Amino acid sequence: MADPYVLENGSEIAVIGGGPTGSFFSIFALKMAKMIGKELNVTIYEPKDFTKDGPRGCNRCGGLISELLVQTLAVEGINLPETLVQRGINSYRLYTDHGNVFIGTPSHEKTIATVYRGGGPKGIIGKGKESFDRFLLDLAVSEGAIHNPLKIDRIEYNNIRPVLFAKGQRIQEPDLAVGAIGVKSRTYKIFEDMGFGYRRPETVTAAIAEISTHSSAITEYFGNSVHLFLLPIKGVKFAAMIPKGTYVTVCILGKDIVVNTVNNFLDNRVVKSILPKTETYKVNCRCLPKMNVRAPKIPFNHRVILCGDAGSTRLFKDGLGAAYIMGKAAAKTAVFHGVSKQHFQKEYYPVYRNIIIDNKFGKVLFAVTDAFKVHKALNKSMFRVVQKEQLEPSSQKILSSVLWDMFTGNELYKDIFRRAMNFPMFFDIFKGCIRI
Amino acid sequence: MKDGELGRVYGEGEFIFKEGDEGDRMYVIQSGRVRITKKTPSGDITIATLGSGEIFGEMALFDRLPRSATAGALDEARILSIDKKKLFQTIDRDPTLVFKTLESMSRRIRRLDEEFTKLRKSKIDILQIFVNVDETCSFILEEAKNFIKADNGSIMLYSDEEKALLIKAAFGTEWNPKTKLNAGEGIAGDVLKTGRAELINNVSMDPRYKKGSADINSVLCVPIKGRNTHFGVINMSRISENLFTIEDLNLLRFIALYASIAIENAMNFSRLRNVADEVLMHATMLDMLG
Ligand SMILES: Cc1cc2nc3c(=O)[nH]c(=O)nc-3n(C[C@H](O)[C@H](O)[C@H](O)COP(=O)(O)OP(=O)(O)OC[C@H]3O[C@@H](n4cnc5c(N)ncnc54)[C@H](O)[C@@H]3O)c2cc1C
Repeated sequence: MADPYVLENGSEIAVIGGGPTGSFFSIFALKMAKMIGKELNVTIYEPKDFTKDGPRGCNRCGGLISELLVQTLAVEGINLPETLVQRGINSYRLYTDHGNVFIGTPSHEKTIATVYRGGGPKGIIGKGKESFDRFLLDLAVSEGAIHNPLKIDRIEYNNIRPVLFAKGQRIQEPDLAVGAIGVKSRTYKIFEDMGFGYRRPETVTAAIAEISTHSSAITEYFGNSVHLFLLPIKGVKFAAMIPKGTYVTVCILGKDIVVNTVNNFLDNRVVKSILPKTETYKVNCRCLPKMNVRAPKIPFNHRVILCGDAGSTRLFKDGLGAAYIMGKAAAKTAVFHGVSKQHFQKEYYPVYRNIIIDNKFGKVLFAVTDAFKVHKALNKSMFRVVQKEQLEPSSQKILSSVLWDMFTGNELYKDIFRRAMNFPMFFDIFKGCIRI
Repeated sequence: MKDGELGRVYGEGEFIFKEGDEGDRMYVIQSGRVRITKKTPSGDITIATLGSGEIFGEMALFDRLPRSATAGALDEARILSIDKKKLFQTIDRDPTLVFKTLESMSRRIRRLDEEFTKLRKSKIDILQIFVNVDETCSFILEEAKNFIKADNGSIMLYSDEEKALLIKAAFGTEWNPKTKLNAGEGIAGDVLKTGRAELINNVSMDPRYKKGSADINSVLCVPIKGRNTHFGVINMSRISENLFTIEDLNLLRFIALYASIAIENAMNFSRLRNVADEVLMHATMLDMLG
């Protein structure tokens, strides 16, 4: 007998959430199904209008698309148009209390993109650009997905088949339901209530603020660099300032983030020293989004799978890269293998677990960066090495590339960890951190 | 470079890599065009012009050989490069990443297959033409027509058997395929005899002129010279007021030079074939007799 969990011509997939994960899933599921001569019916449920300004049209993040994701998407044939990218980034500047250092892209290209997830900051000034989430959703639609702007409010099992409800009405009984709901809404309840053991990811609160000033001031003060801060501010693990059109996105990650954290950050001596003095700047848009810091243990069951932020994602960086990896891993499993719990366990779970394991290395690396915040001597020696590497064209730039990969999300934490171990100064800190 | 652009901008004519370089990255065009060229003994030839979204430079990554061609920006082009090591690491994690690259390579191979088939076909066509005297004459006349505008034209060859000039190929209305001219007869016959190329305007005034079906005005007549003798002529004529020039005459003389080589080769070949056929026939007969 044919496996009832294998998708056939005409099988229906409901994708709940049309953020990056939902769109990546749909794009790849449709592409791969076509490759093996199957037609799938994919419906994406997404009530948010990504062309709207401010938090209501936005999936709230720093909007940095990592070098790895930019390049991988290009190889996939998804090139980010100039109408979408706010600014191409070719470097980082890392600040601590004891100085700062500049790290350029190894290839001297603009390899990182900054985007807006929605229509832009509240009351956006100047000409807006396309929204990243909208761009991906449109791509999914052009591959053949149907976008339905409904919010799903309940899913029930009926003979091991998921049944979707919206506004109290039964709307679809698909062969597969994909939860790409992120962590920023209460939709996790829907999947918790299905009773197969899903529990929402553990989260911390982060802060994002958009500061507006003239676009010439942005270029002058921020250039094509992301500015990264490892400063001893209470509750702040690290912060980034990401230049876009006429705005700079301030993104603060940490433990006890509150509304006031942004003001404390902007009042910090080091931060103040790089902000325009004569230009006026204004905080235009702010939010306190949740961030996934620990993945759920059970992210799937028969005909149900959760991915992206609602599942496992990379710790503190490259969440969009993880949305691509996990959305695609779910699509591959569903199309090439099947949609039973066993199929997901065998094909999807190894990818899911790899991210979880890698985050453990990430935790150690972030503990090291914490050490950098306070150790003056350590800072000085690191700055010296990096500066020398950056000035010497022939240098191997080992430390620069470790830092570059750490902050751009270019490499697995595991690989960065391995490379960093070659540096005696890191080795000593690792030992210290592990003892703690 | 504009704020929202990714990659690196290459100016018009700037090289991205050169044939023979070592290849450690592949490229994806974000905007503009890139020309791929290859060195040949008779100069560089363009093998492809690529545009936005297309991948290039991937071959050296997969076969680990030096760059097989040169890539240069045709106009201003913006290009994203992808490091080999990072790419292979990513492919190792997700082998389906090569689907798109395979698709683009397959498309390229398919196009090459088509071009190769076309090339082979035209080579075979040319070979077939050049062993047949009549077809060689038609081919030469077609080519001549491309260079020199004329209303009528013909190639006539002297037949030893008929002791006359016979038409081998012609276009326009002036030439009757049955026309036969003895050596010295008409303009063509005279040119064959003297071996001098002629440009004659106001041809009706020329006493050698034998009126045909059209009122022609200007005539070019060039002998086709063999190693020892003249064995034919190329004629071209115009009805209109637009007269031939001395440049036209020189051009036709040039064409006639090449024509003579090609036609002699074709004649030799058919003679050879006749001889070979005869030998074969004798051999067969001997075989039958034996
Ligand atoms: C402060 C902060 C900064 C960040 N910065 C970056 C960064 O710079 N770069 C980076 O790569 N990543 C960053 N991230 C991570 C990134 O935001 C996420 O990894 C990414 O948004 C995950 O995409 P997703 O599609 O899984 O979820 P989301 O983007 O949250 O999308 C979920 C979608 O599901 C929809 N949805 C929810 N419930 C329902 C329902 N019931 N019915 C229908 N639709 C529903 C929502 O409307 C939403 O559109 C950051 C995160 C935070 C918190």
